[in-house]
Amino acid sequence: MSDALSRRGFFAAFSTPFARKVEAVPQPVARPAAGSAEAKVAVVQGRFCLALTSFCSVCIERCPVPGAMKKERGVPMVVADVCTGCGVCREVCPAPRNAVLMLPRRPSTRRHSV
Amino acid sequence: MMQRREFNKMLALAAASAAVRANAQSPARVAPAPAGDGIAWDKAPCRFCGTGCHVRVGVKNGRVVAIEGDQLADVNKGLLCVKGYHVGLALYGKDRLTQPLLRRNGVLEPISWEEAIETIAQKVMAAPAQFAIYGSGQWTIPEGYAANKFIKGGLSSNHIDPNARLCMASAVTGFLSVYGVDEPAGCYDDLDKCDVLLMWGNNMAEMHPVLFSRVIDRRTRGEKVTLIDLGTRRTRTTEFCDHYLEFRPNSDLAIMNGIAHLLIKKNTFDPKFVEKFCNFRQAPKDPAASPAAPLLGDPMSFAEYKAALEPYTPEHVEKLSGVPAEKIRLLGDLFANKDIRITSTWCMGFNQHTRGTNANRLCHGIHLLSGHFGRPGDAPTSLTGQPSACGTAREVGTLCHFLPGGRLILNAEHRKETEKLWNLPEGRINPKIGHHTVLMWEKFCTPADKGGDIRTLWVQVTNPGQSLPNLNKLFKAKAGQPEKFLIVSDVYRTATTELADLVLPSAMWVEKNGMYGNSERRTQQWFRMVKPPGDARDDAWQMIAVARKLHDLGHAGMKDKDGRFLFALKNDKGEEVPVWEWPRYYDINVDKVLFEEYRAFSRYKHKDLAPYDVYVKSRGLRWPVVQQPDGTWRETKFRFSEFDDPYVKKGAEIQFYHSVTKDDKALIWFAPAERAPEEPDAEFPFWLCTGRVLEHWHTGSMTRRVPQLHAAMPHAYVEMHPEDARERGFANGETIVVKTRRGELKLPVWVDGRGHPPRGSLFIPFFDERLMCNDLTIDAVDPISKEPDYKKCAATVARAAATP
Repeated sequence: MSDALSRRGFFAAFSTPFARKVEAVPQPVARPAAGSAEAKVAVVQGRFCLALTSFCSVCIERCPVPGAMKKERGVPMVVADVCTGCGVCREVCPAPRNAVLMLPRRPSTRRHSV
Repeated sequence: MMQRREFNKMLALAAASAAVRANAQSPARVAPAPAGDGIAWDKAPCRFCGTGCHVRVGVKNGRVVAIEGDQLADVNKGLLCVKGYHVGLALYGKDRLTQPLLRRNGVLEPISWEEAIETIAQKVMAAPAQFAIYGSGQWTIPEGYAANKFIKGGLSSNHIDPNARLCMASAVTGFLSVYGVDEPAGCYDDLDKCDVLLMWGNNMAEMHPVLFSRVIDRRTRGEKVTLIDLGTRRTRTTEFCDHYLEFRPNSDLAIMNGIAHLLIKKNTFDPKFVEKFCNFRQAPKDPAASPAAPLLGDPMSFAEYKAALEPYTPEHVEKLSGVPAEKIRLLGDLFANKDIRITSTWCMGFNQHTRGTNANRLCHGIHLLSGHFGRPGDAPTSLTGQPSACGTAREVGTLCHFLPGGRLILNAEHRKETEKLWNLPEGRINPKIGHHTVLMWEKFCTPADKGGDIRTLWVQVTNPGQSLPNLNKLFKAKAGQPEKFLIVSDVYRTATTELADLVLPSAMWVEKNGMYGNSERRTQQWFRMVKPPGDARDDAWQMIAVARKLHDLGHAGMKDKDGRFLFALKNDKGEEVPVWEWPRYYDINVDKVLFEEYRAFSRYKHKDLAPYDVYVKSRGLRWPVVQQPDGTWRETKFRFSEFDDPYVKKGAEIQFYHSVTKDDKALIWFAPAERAPEEPDAEFPFWLCTGRVLEHWHTGSMTRRVPQLHAAMPHAYVEMHPEDARERGFANGETIVVKTRRGELKLPVWVDGRGHPPRGSLFIPFFDERLMCNDLTIDAVDPISKEPDYKKCAATVARAAATP
């Protein structure tokens, strides 16, 4: 797959709330850049993920970082070493309880396995 | 690892604003929710698809605040899909319509309900024969019944059709011409029992996710079930399938003929079943001989049937369909095996097809020929897309050629019975069938002096401005024709209200009482739980109020033969209640009164319905619902099978008691493989298919206003094969132009996205009102069902910048 056909950026421009004739559109809050002191890593909490009981593939489809998410037994998993902590997966997760946790990327957080 | 079924214990608390959503973490809870939190719970079927899941609706301070899967419901056993969990939010989009709006000088301005009702009544009064109603499979049963009685019984006009014409009409003509009566014989229990599930052009993982999870759940429990996907593009469903058979669009007919060919050739069909329970049929030599001729067909001997199938060898079918001959043999061997149980499901892949009736017939045919019918797990079953396509459109008969309970406009006896049940003078019902959907909109968009004989059109609970095919011809052409008057009852502004002259704000879902009928013959009931916003009112009230206004203006049709108003509804004490006055509408349960009146129609085709109060206590019941000697009401899971259907006579084993041929036999049809009405050529080299996505329901007017669903799927796109994109130098996400003979559309290309079309093939979802793929689709229809083909036409693509 050439770069031109990568997933990067696809959908990025489209995430604005929908209501007819409503002009004011809340803008997404800016995220800290990956690698900064506030850098985070995503974790999918399997028990809240719709892919477990129904069908959902939104986070994997929309993750802008190639290789940062994979599917294990139908349920999405984050590859922590590749994840940039951008938070797109959390933003787009449609589960009734958001299944994506954004954890601070610090060694001490490793024991917070979910 | 958590069991799939335990997941439903999670409470889906619905927070309306995106800001709240970001922080809200609703507590996980076990149903029933503990008392004392101020939330009142009640049951309702989900508002969205035809699966018919039940939800528990939590209400607090007059607002729906929580939704959870209903564990008492057979259909979903507590589980919901992503749309279902958020169904409560569909009520709370920021731009709900709250007052009637009339277009003056091009602008929709607020008016009173009195003015709105008066305006409609005057328009109807001016030309009753040029008035039409366009409804949907989202009408509740009582709403559809009221509309049907109003126009057919009151106005002596049959110009009423539901959007189900765009969706289920080919399934209806399929069932009618095979069994003599509409709707599947089997039910969802077949999905729990089958050894093989064939999905014909049916992306169940996205369109009926709860049903598909019911099947996948069997695998996680260690059961073996073979899943076969027959389609024209790889979908989410394909990922779970053991076999994927990709066929050339429209060649499903050839594949089914190939299966029948092998069953005959190898003598592996079921001669006992065929001899006892089947006759053979083919298309009539003269389809114009009578209106029923295409449905009845011409008799055919077994020898003739065999000869007609002769050419469909696996190799020939491979040539027509692109499916390898060995895979056709695999299907032939499966059907030859009586030790396994085979369920076929289909939805829009078969139905939206210019040979949709034939596709349905052939699928029933291979099941009948092989005897894979009538045992749990052995069933040809169509799935519906709307919550009450079966209950309202098909059973109440809100189609232009139907009367309630499976009766026909063209049948004098049926008209007479209907007149009797409605207490109308003889001859009140017009013997001429009305305009079907595509014709209705064509006539509405055509100037009166050029034969456009529909002047005023009232749309309820649907969004034709987005969902009709070939929109430029069938909808947008209405613009600039001041003599045409479009009335739209809806809950939000939509593509349809853009051209509306009068917009009426409606109550939706649990803001009103309701009843739906799902895909498996299950009739469901719910009560009003919250009040509609502003001055929004029930659709049935709107219809009754207009009828009353016409009554007061002196329209003779609004009275029965004893001079009583058509909707003179009484309370328990036998007193008439003026329900056309909105403050009095909920003095009685109008749904119950209308349903009890409608019930009388249900016996004729053995679609027996129980009394209203029985549905109040159940999570839906599958008809025929028959009273037992002990007074209880028993539903029927497997129709025509002696072991379950009380209407099958003892010892018959299988009895098709509404048989077209009046000998208790079903019909096995032969139909040839045929080409699509428009196929790719040098100028338009791509196939274009349109359809739905998991997160949005149909035109997205509700789901796009649910923040979670909108965030998950914010924008339409065109799916394309990577090689096709590479050849043209398209980058992923680049905006391109898709063009057909009818229109063009600029939208981003999505390569290796959710679906994977083969080379030379495109897919565009239809949920996005900013990017309406129906500007592109063709309006060619099946000659029997009059259903258009949204699944195939010829298209071309170009760089957006390269076009002027």
